[in-house]
Amino acid sequence: MANRTIPRLLQTPAVVLLLFWMLVPLSMTLFFSFIRYVLNNLRRPEWTSPSIENWRGFGNYQYVWNQDSFWLAIQNSILIVTSILFLTVILGVAIAVLINRSFPGLGIVRVLLISPFFVMPAVNAVLWINMILDPVLGLQGIAVNGINEIIAGLRSAPVVGGFFSLWPEFEPISFRATQTSAYAVIMMVTWQWTPFAVLIFMTSLQSEDQQQKEAATLDGAGRWNQFRFLTLPHLGRPIAIVVMIQAIFHLSLYAEIEIVSRGNGNKNLPYYIGELVNNNIGAASATGIFAVILANIVAIFLLRMVGKTLME
Amino acid sequence: MGRIVLEKVTKKFGEVEVIPPLDLTIEDGEFAVFVGPSGCGKSTLLRLIAGLEEVTSGEVKIDDATVTEVPPSKRGLAMVFQSYALYPHMTVRKNIAFPLRMEKMPQSEIDAKVDMAAKSLNLTDYLDRKPGQLSGGQRQRVAIGRAIVRQPEAFLFDEPLSNLDAALRVGMRLEISELHQRLETTMIYVTHDQVEAMTMADKIVVLQAGVIEQVGSPLELYERPQNRFVAGFIGSPKMNLIEGEAAKKRGAQTMGMRPEHIAVSTEAGEFKGTVGVAEHLGSDTFLHVHIDGIEEHVTVRQRGNVNFKYGDTVYLTPEEANVHKFGADGLRID
Ligand SMILES: Nc1ncnc2c1ncn2[C@@H]1O[C@H](COP(=O)(O)OP(=O)(O)OP(=O)(O)O)[C@@H](O)[C@H]1O
Ligand SMILES: [Mg+2]
Repeated sequence: MANRTIPRLLQTPAVVLLLFWMLVPLSMTLFFSFIRYVLNNLRRPEWTSPSIENWRGFGNYQYVWNQDSFWLAIQNSILIVTSILFLTVILGVAIAVLINRSFPGLGIVRVLLISPFFVMPAVNAVLWINMILDPVLGLQGIAVNGINEIIAGLRSAPVVGGFFSLWPEFEPISFRATQTSAYAVIMMVTWQWTPFAVLIFMTSLQSEDQQQKEAATLDGAGRWNQFRFLTLPHLGRPIAIVVMIQAIFHLSLYAEIEIVSRGNGNKNLPYYIGELVNNNIGAASATGIFAVILANIVAIFLLRMVGKTLME
Repeated sequence: MGRIVLEKVTKKFGEVEVIPPLDLTIEDGEFAVFVGPSGCGKSTLLRLIAGLEEVTSGEVKIDDATVTEVPPSKRGLAMVFQSYALYPHMTVRKNIAFPLRMEKMPQSEIDAKVDMAAKSLNLTDYLDRKPGQLSGGQRQRVAIGRAIVRQPEAFLFDEPLSNLDAALRVGMRLEISELHQRLETTMIYVTHDQVEAMTMADKIVVLQAGVIEQVGSPLELYERPQNRFVAGFIGSPKMNLIEGEAAKKRGAQTMGMRPEHIAVSTEAGEFKGTVGVAEHLGSDTFLHVHIDGIEEHVTVRQRGNVNFKYGDTVYLTPEEANVHKFGADGLRID
């Protein structure tokens, strides 16, 4: 036993540091979530300092639970995260399979594909919302304008004119509106994170056994069946990894939401917490604990689903 | 039916011609074995027949129908790979059922066929396991099961036993031979194992650098090798090939003697030499004899146990009727 003591002693600083690193913030959050703690209250100045005297029990949780905006934020979080996961996994698999062969310019294509991942989230959001999605100045506005002009031109054309005069004028979509800002966030994050999925799937595809595919060819499996029964199960684990990592990252999206609409309509949980923190630390902490629980549920649920459907 | 004919088949990888024009016929129901040194094109030839590689020129025919342009899945052949190539995410049952499922056969029929194949290969207890949970021999049997459910025109085996240990190899060798007797389907079998080739084959095809050196039954190849290469390649231990004075005396460039066709004496004989290593196998003893003026040692087979040991002087005399003679071009002289 004695010879185990020294390694244990040597490990201790790291373990203790890690414990503090995680435990201190978590227990502070837990503590704040059970007391009344606000930054600013003229009538009840005693609430402005964190103290056990202000114990509120589950009051903060109850307060948050009864807010409609809390449930909207949860809905929005789930919508955004699941859409992004769905899109990145599908696009990632498709692109990885497409470029998993040799063709001239392969190296450049791969570098280009990976590059969105190196753009900072805030920059990504600013670029998308102003230069691409803007209804007037962005690519979207220009494209919609162009299409409208072409149609207008075709209306006076001899044969097809009658057909095109039935077409309506297209309206560009404003992605800063309450109803649409979540889609803008989904688009820009998908664009940014698809490379991550492609990268992971590509490495996995390269380790796929070619002889299995030859055997499948002889067994009468066409390309689709080979993909369905060999490649997709082979990608099961990497897909689970991509889903897991992205779920963790995207549950805490903030910059994109701030830049697109300042949380107008499409607050997600972190943004909602951010707003509460402006004054009500207790309620914000309670929401934080809800977020932790939600993250765990989402992770477990998604992993199960991916595992079941792919591994047969 | 499964008569396979190759007509003037060639294969190039880029500029390298791996198979120069080659003709070969494998009769229906025959067990043909391809042997040859590593890199001589055995696998390539098999893959050309299977359709996994396209021929550069020439034609492949199965039952008189040209299949050169036919995709692999439509050729009606089944292949067993050296690495088994089982589908790792499927159970044994699904692995075996896979080709039938691809044919869109009704499920009840699939189940019946899979059960029958599993029974004949002793796999019934493992049907619900994944390949990763099986031993090497069991995996090999699953691969064979996957091949037989389709009732193919012919089976192609590419060194199927080389990943197994020696004892298992003997067992599987017998199983495959039995399978061939039972199914009476054409089989083409690639190996570099002498014993597998000699014991299993109806017909052995000896290849060197993509060229067929000789085709024939195992005994034909053993008793009448057509050239030096086949003589040295077929048989274990190898035939003793001697050049120089002794060969010239018999009107040949090279003379060959099988180890069992050499008489040993302690008093007199054609060659005088000293015993190097004596390998006692119980039933036989192999003497490695060093003869002056001959670079490689000569191997001699003696029945039972003989009392020669390192350094003993012995005299060797070949049985004249069984001496193989080869000319300067390497071809047999009769
Ligand atoms: N895809 C390929 N591209 C280029 N050359 C190849 C390719 N496949 C095989 N070759 C070459 O063709 C020759 C024959 O290869 P093949 O695999 O048929 O040999 P083999 O007789 O099966 O050898 P072994 O006993 O080692 O399996 C080799 O020289 C090999 O380098
Ligand atoms: Mg080979």
